[in-house]
Amino acid sequence: MNSTDFRNLARTISRLEDNHRETVSRIIQLPLDRPQCHIIGITGPPGAGKSTLCNQLLSQLSEKGKVAILMVDPASPFSGGAILGDRIRLNHLAQHPGIYARSLSNRGNPGGVSRWVVTILRLLMDKGFDYLVVETVGAGQSEVKIASIADTTVVVAVPQLGDDIQTAKAGMMEIADIFVVNKADLPGSEKTANMLREVAMDSSGQWKPPVCQTVATSGEGCQQLVEEISSHHTYLVDNNLLEQKRRNAARFELVEMSSWLLHRQLEELLGERQGQLLVSGQVDLYSRLEKAYEAFINSLSEVSD
Amino acid sequence: MPIRVLIAKPGLDGHDRGAKVVARTLRDAGMEVIYTGLRQSPAQIVEAAIQEDVDIIGLSCLSGAHNSLFPKVVSLLKEKGAEDIKVFGGGVIPDSDIPKLKEAGIVHVFTPGSSLEKIVAAVRDCVQDNE
Ligand SMILES: Nc1nc2c(ncn2[C@@H]2O[C@H](COP(=O)(O)OP(=O)(O)O)[C@@H](O)[C@H]2O)c(=O)[nH]1
Ligand SMILES: [Mg+2]
Repeated sequence: MNSTDFRNLARTISRLEDNHRETVSRIIQLPLDRPQCHIIGITGPPGAGKSTLCNQLLSQLSEKGKVAILMVDPASPFSGGAILGDRIRLNHLAQHPGIYARSLSNRGNPGGVSRWVVTILRLLMDKGFDYLVVETVGAGQSEVKIASIADTTVVVAVPQLGDDIQTAKAGMMEIADIFVVNKADLPGSEKTANMLREVAMDSSGQWKPPVCQTVATSGEGCQQLVEEISSHHTYLVDNNLLEQKRRNAARFELVEMSSWLLHRQLEELLGERQGQLLVSGQVDLYSRLEKAYEAFINSLSEVSD
Repeated sequence: MPIRVLIAKPGLDGHDRGAKVVARTLRDAGMEVIYTGLRQSPAQIVEAAIQEDVDIIGLSCLSGAHNSLFPKVVSLLKEKGAEDIKVFGGGVIPDSDIPKLKEAGIVHVFTPGSSLEKIVAAVRDCVQDNE
């Protein structure tokens, strides 16, 4: 792809983010089910080395196909602005013609991802990208949405988590298809890897998440990680599980969109006057909501008929 | 829709404190700031700006190479058909260099004394001009 292609792509993504109506309705009609394409989610606490790891992944994956990466960081709750710094780790890949990299703010959306991420993935799939990597910050239980989007979720941890691993277990552990202990050059890596192996053994599914130890700064162990990532894709395809993953992603997309639309509309609607009425407790708003919701649901089931 | 800004440091000096202060200020003014760190080539900066679809690029340079690096970014943008992306600059820049930089298409030049409010206002102004 050349600069003009990237420019058009980049602009369309901005229009999606800005909820440009025609753009959203055009892109949402693009298929999300290309099986040869692989959606890879990378998540873990801030500073674990996710972006540095992505840099390694990108340079390896780009030998096999076209790669796009979305790097999502949280917006400031105060100003709505954001500092998006993941690109610092990708600089030497900036001019690779087969790599597209885009930083996104979550724009206040809880769960660590942008509302439009699945829609953006449709667009990228349509543009012929083979690998779609999504980096999100995941620090706790609330930030597991990435698992609803990605075919393969890679959870990045670092050595010496100590007791933290107990808390991390609660949310991040069950979403992992692959564990990475990054910063394996630091002491405690083996111990952390062993703890994660125990967690992986307990996993209920047929797939037992492998544990990779990597040094993202040098590239050590990254080859193995790429192999595990592609084995997981093969596993999904061979067991007819990929379709299920994509259906989850598409459902997630619609739920995100509708809850956002509803939320936005409600905030606009419930002005001073309505507020007063509500506070007086004289309206059965619940029943009204239910009715409106029913109409909405009915219109959706018509779509699927 | 927030203004998107790319803050980059071309050149070889390793001081990014000023760039970081500007990045934070713009974030606090509600903008999305893509921070790309130290030692960027003009070509890398332009490619990143295109992929990130920013409205404006802020360049910080303390090494004294601003006279060649800043105009290079502007001319590469033009070459790639992305001349609507504005460029402003900052750093240790002698007053006598400023007219030449502006002539080369740098919309604003900020020197160490510049107030942060002025930078925010200037970024807002030239992005709005664009729309
Ligand atoms: N020692 C060591 N440092 C690393 C490794 N990987 C990343 N880092 C450093 O960890 C810091 C955070 O990395 P970054 O990729 O930005 O983390 P992110 O916040 O998870 O995306 C940076 O200073 C990296 O250089 C590693 O394998 N070993
Ligand atoms: Mg990162």
